[in-house]
Amino acid sequence: MRTSHPLIAVSMAIVGFRRWAQALSKGQGSGISALLSGSRAASGAAKGNLPGPYPKTPEERAAAAKKYNLTAADYQPFPDQGLGYGDYPKLPDRSQHERDPWYDWDHPDLRRNWGEPIHWDFDAYIRNRVDTSPTVLSWSSMCKQLFGFIGFMLFMFYLGEKFPCYQPIAPKQYPYNDLYLEKGGDPEKQPEAVKHYEI
Amino acid sequence: MGAHLVRRYVTETDTEPDPARKFEFDPQFGFAERKEREMVATQEQMNLAQLPLEQRDFCAHHLLKLMKCKRDHWPNFLACKHEKHDWDYCEHQDYVMRMKEYERERRLQLRKKRIEAQAQAA
Repeated sequence: MRTSHPLIAVSMAIVGFRRWAQALSKGQGSGISALLSGSRAASGAAKGNLPGPYPKTPEERAAAAKKYNLTAADYQPFPDQGLGYGDYPKLPDRSQHERDPWYDWDHPDLRRNWGEPIHWDFDAYIRNRVDTSPTVLSWSSMCKQLFGFIGFMLFMFYLGEKFPCYQPIAPKQYPYNDLYLEKGGDPEKQPEAVKHYEI
Repeated sequence: MGAHLVRRYVTETDTEPDPARKFEFDPQFGFAERKEREMVATQEQMNLAQLPLEQRDFCAHHLLKLMKCKRDHWPNFLACKHEKHDWDYCEHQDYVMRMKEYERERRLQLRKKRIEAQAQAA
């Protein structure tokens, strides 16, 4: 194949260099990635993305809702009690266990889509931790069953103590005055005589 | 099986004997003469064999024979059937005697109750 003219190659290189320099001067990038490619990375907080103070006016609320990708109706900040929540949204306390396992989430393990607002306690609500899914039975039903059973068993044990079951036999008979010496009786003292008879 | 429990807790609560308490009738009552139970193994023998207290009963001499047989014939664990049977039979007789003692106490209690009822009715 014909080699390109050396002049054309050099001019191509110069054009490329000019384009690179223009991109550098125009772009807002930071760091090595910006230097090399001339564009900025998608990571890092952009301007106006960080949480701010508690929203007081409806306009502030609308702006905060937009910032967190919520509709104005859904957006609910924490009550302004000086605890430092600012305008962060108060999301329902539901763990990731309750989300649809079959839906095609962007992050399947977290069951979360890109851009979705993150719960304040998201690290507690991951699938390895706190589970708020509804139980099969209500709490009161479970309590009744457990304590009912325990109470019943305790009552039956009490009855068993009061009315024990035994075999209809007399106590066992032992020799040597009911083993007086073997049971640690005083060898000097004379024990009361215990006689056993055949029947 | 369990009739004594029904008698004790439901029907005859005042006469059915309680094995936890001492039996109240004289052992000779109702018998012309009663033979005393013989103890064959001595206290020294039982001490040397280090028998637990529960096993130092009126069948201990059979148990001592059995232990000697086992010691002499180890590892043949099938060798002492005769001695084992003797000990088991002795224990069985002891158990039957216990049952008879209980029944005697029960009948004497019923008799006592009948006599009292008669005395009251009279």
